[in-house]
Amino acid sequence: MLEIKGVSVKRGALVALKDISLSIELGKTVAVVGESGAGKSTLIAAILGLIALSGGKITWAGGPVRGIRPALVMQEPRAAFNPDLSLRQSVSEPLKAQKLPVDTKRLAKLCAGLELAPDLLDRKPGQVSIGQAQRVGILRALITTPPLILFDEPLSALDAVTQKRTAQLIADLQRQKGFAALIVTHDLGYACAFSDEIAVLRAGSVEETSTPTAFVNAPETDYGRKLRDAAVSLGALERAS
Amino acid sequence: MTLSVSGLNVERKGRVILAPTSLSIAPRARIGLVGASGSGKSTLGHALIDALRAQGVVVAHVPQSPDEALDPLRTMAFHWREAEKALCMGHNPARRKALFSALGIAYGNLTKRPWGWSRGMQQRFVIAMALIGAPALIVLDEPTSALDPVVAADTMDLLDNFLTGQDTAMVLVTHDLGLASRRVERLWVMSEGYLVEEATTEDILTRPTTEAAAKLAAHKSWLTVPC
Repeated sequence: MLEIKGVSVKRGALVALKDISLSIELGKTVAVVGESGAGKSTLIAAILGLIALSGGKITWAGGPVRGIRPALVMQEPRAAFNPDLSLRQSVSEPLKAQKLPVDTKRLAKLCAGLELAPDLLDRKPGQVSIGQAQRVGILRALITTPPLILFDEPLSALDAVTQKRTAQLIADLQRQKGFAALIVTHDLGYACAFSDEIAVLRAGSVEETSTPTAFVNAPETDYGRKLRDAAVSLGALERAS
Repeated sequence: MTLSVSGLNVERKGRVILAPTSLSIAPRARIGLVGASGSGKSTLGHALIDALRAQGVVVAHVPQSPDEALDPLRTMAFHWREAEKALCMGHNPARRKALFSALGIAYGNLTKRPWGWSRGMQQRFVIAMALIGAPALIVLDEPTSALDPVVAADTMDLLDNFLTGQDTAMVLVTHDLGLASRRVERLWVMSEGYLVEEATTEDILTRPTTEAAAKLAAHKSWLTVPC
């Protein structure tokens, strides 16, 4: 289980994260929502141990998070891959880093689960669509079966139809593999439809946490309400008629 | 005056990007140009702008991200003056003040460069700049996708309110039928370079006749929430 306890991060004079506490159990998804600059991506960097904490602790089952080698799925799928390598080479890199062999049967099964034709992996990132590249990004995250996967705006580069299909694929894979997921997104519709808990981040602090149902029905804070109403106004959430 | 174009088509290396298309747009119309990534909606948007400008019609274009419209080395004042010059209009601070106030541009520090303004304010500035010449048509290409939702919803509301008092028609190019359904009364649905369906938003949401429209309608929002 991921435990974030009283985490603060300072960047110069700026307090990027202020006393954040969250936890995610295996098989569960927490969605972190909030405006640009709220600290969402900083939180991911802190979990991955890429930036120093100025206070608090982040652990997995009591030990360091790096020990479990969590995976990250990035926002811009094409930019997440080395343009000179085939997608197959990029996907095998996490295995190489852990000195694990490529299990071709397992790879084929994962490809099928992500609706990826196996020969697509022989192409380079520039030769596939953005939707395909993002599914390869998810494939790369799953290849070592990590217990924790972090998703940084995983759908924002995709069109509305592909977004919903990809979200469903992630959820199906999570049911099979049981990983814990942290999704950072500004799309409240996605967060409400596919998470177990919503955490609203604002100016580096968690303003409120609740279940998606509680959040859509009655956000606790003014900002939570604004966020919910904006999602309705932009058509991400629809009111029953 | 109704705007009309006919026979728009685009081919690249023998491949059809946009099949021959004819369109008409009534004054004050609010139209959504929708389709999946790669369906040809932005191509049709650009072809429409070019064809209308060739007829001498004033058409404004707002790109997806303010980064595409604003030069990071130039001040906001410079951009505004350039837009006025391009439209052969004199400098008119009162007009600027009115547009800023209509679009909720709270501060007007025009000596700053784009990066001195927030992204939401940059996008509102680009929309305000697009409206300087009281265009017959404003084409907005995914205008909210680079903004966070609260800022995006506010920006669309302000634009809606402003256009209510004008003859300017609007074409909103988007992959998101959820967004379009809240903002426009008619939809043009693109699929693989073809304009496959054209109807009122309500008809397309409730009775789509093509597979492309049905797919967009089925994936229009994430969740239905109680009233």
